[in-house]
Amino acid sequence: MNENIYIPKLAKIIKIKEEVSGLRPIKTFRTQFVEKNGFSHQCGQCAMLSVLGKGESMISISSSPLEKDFLQFSILKMGRVTSALHETEVGEIIGIRGPYGNNFPIENWKGKNLIFIGGGIGLAPIWSVLHTALKKKEDYGKLTLIYGARTSKDLVFKEELEKLNKKMNVHLSVDVEEKDWKEYVGFVPQNVTDKKPSPDNSISITCGPPIMIKFVIKALEELGFKDKQIYTTVENKMKCGIGKCGRCNIGKHYICKDGPVYSWAELKTLPQEY
Amino acid sequence: MEKILTKKSFPAWVKNLQSYTVYAPEKQENLWSYEVIQNPDKINLEYLNTVLAPKKITYPQREIFLQFNTSKEGKPQIKEVLPEEQPAVIFGVRPCDAKAITLTDKVFGEEPKDPYYWSRRNQTILVGLTCNPPPSPNCFCLSVGGSPHSKEGLDILMTDMGDKYHIDSLTKKGEKLIKAAENLFKPASPKDKKELEKIQRESEKKIKREIKDIKNIPDKLKDMFESPFWDEEAMSCIRCGICTYLCPTCYCFDITDELTSTLPLKGKRVRTWDTCQFPDFTMHSSGHNPRPDKASRLRQRILHKFQYHVENYQDYLCTGCGRCISLCPMGIDIIEILNKVRDYE
Repeated sequence: MNENIYIPKLAKIIKIKEEVSGLRPIKTFRTQFVEKNGFSHQCGQCAMLSVLGKGESMISISSSPLEKDFLQFSILKMGRVTSALHETEVGEIIGIRGPYGNNFPIENWKGKNLIFIGGGIGLAPIWSVLHTALKKKEDYGKLTLIYGARTSKDLVFKEELEKLNKKMNVHLSVDVEEKDWKEYVGFVPQNVTDKKPSPDNSISITCGPPIMIKFVIKALEELGFKDKQIYTTVENKMKCGIGKCGRCNIGKHYICKDGPVYSWAELKTLPQEY
Repeated sequence: MEKILTKKSFPAWVKNLQSYTVYAPEKQENLWSYEVIQNPDKINLEYLNTVLAPKKITYPQREIFLQFNTSKEGKPQIKEVLPEEQPAVIFGVRPCDAKAITLTDKVFGEEPKDPYYWSRRNQTILVGLTCNPPPSPNCFCLSVGGSPHSKEGLDILMTDMGDKYHIDSLTKKGEKLIKAAENLFKPASPKDKKELEKIQRESEKKIKREIKDIKNIPDKLKDMFESPFWDEEAMSCIRCGICTYLCPTCYCFDITDELTSTLPLKGKRVRTWDTCQFPDFTMHSSGHNPRPDKASRLRQRILHKFQYHVENYQDYLCTGCGRCISLCPMGIDIIEILNKVRDYE
């Protein structure tokens, strides 16, 4: 029998960074496998994180596959497992199994302009593909990030976003006006309409809450983006990660293995149940 | 290999199978259930169908995946717990329930394979029994590609012929069982074979319920995803989930941690059957739920069985046992639903 797919590998937390505090806190965790039995992943894939005694939770990997020293996860404190993860400290051991799901087809995007559009914690899955594109910048055209959150305090990767400004076009937004905010005020889809990214030779990658994705797609369509130029990720409750436990399906697709990455052309053909 | 075994010799055969754990239907408080048999003389194959399918043996309702604890230094340790490999024989398996096991075989056999399922399944021998008469007024195996004497998934098929059984050995595992007491079996004569064919024809005629034009159902369901039909059909559902727990083909599961001690940390990770009929099956921790109401959950059950599974595995995820109809406390009837789908405009 092959390796038991349900047994997590032990990994040490080597760094924790508090991204957002308050009622909807977000922390970024860097982990290293304890033994030499780890795995490598591709942009857009997820991993099942375990806190023993609490259970498992599927989290997208936010580090680039080109980063070989650690895996990174940015996690919003929400349920039982993510709350337990938020209580861990550097040096503690968690379980990781994976990687799961398909990936962004970045090899096919060479030579194209990439427009990343994120909302809130949705920047995490984008982070992996964005950094992979940045590290191989010569392979791609113009890189643009349009990213927003409820308030400036809810933006993740704040320090990195400032540095990113020098390497690519970054357009930030907050939902409602606040003091000293000099960038766009309004929802992410409105910011997309405002910034008018050109569909010519472009691919857009959108991650965020379902309602935001829906309106971003609408905004992109109005700008002339074709279904095949629009990519997004879908998330559902998951338990097994291998298309057997039966809960993450959209129609015949199991998001844990057939997703989470979809072009709008593909996603459109599935029942709209997510 | 076709053989004849007298009913009188049946217990003697089972007594020769000491190296196996033997299961057979047993009546417990008016309900039939597959149980481990201690006394072969007491096996009674004059039963209708069991409430729970034999899936409870090949795929138990709760099983341990791993044990964990924290060492003195605080380092977590994980120990894989695979089921003990013990050869088992299940007698009296209805052909629909055997077919159902072949369907879960495909799901758990698809890469990556499920090691827990296969360590049991590889050791299980299925001895079927032709349904004559049908065990339930709601049987509809003929509609979903089965029959009361189907051999699919079985290692041996037994057919009651009055004072004797016709024994059809179908696999190497089946041959091995017969070899354990070879002198008890006689070869089947041409007359026996004729009688068998007659029983088989009669058994098919006794199946009264039918899903009509089932071949068109998957496409029809695809078009009806957004239909208000599902609200109406789900109205009476009390979301008890019995339709899925008793279904021989339903395989959805949950994985949870159970603690036996918090300091030091000690516990197990377990798999349990779960059901698409419960709201929290799909509810995100944020509260968002892709299937938020009874209608979307009933639709999921029907579409999984008669559209999605057909698209993924080219087979219905239903073998026509009728349990979900007979045992639904609200009388929700999958045959009626699908026949309405057929006529829906």
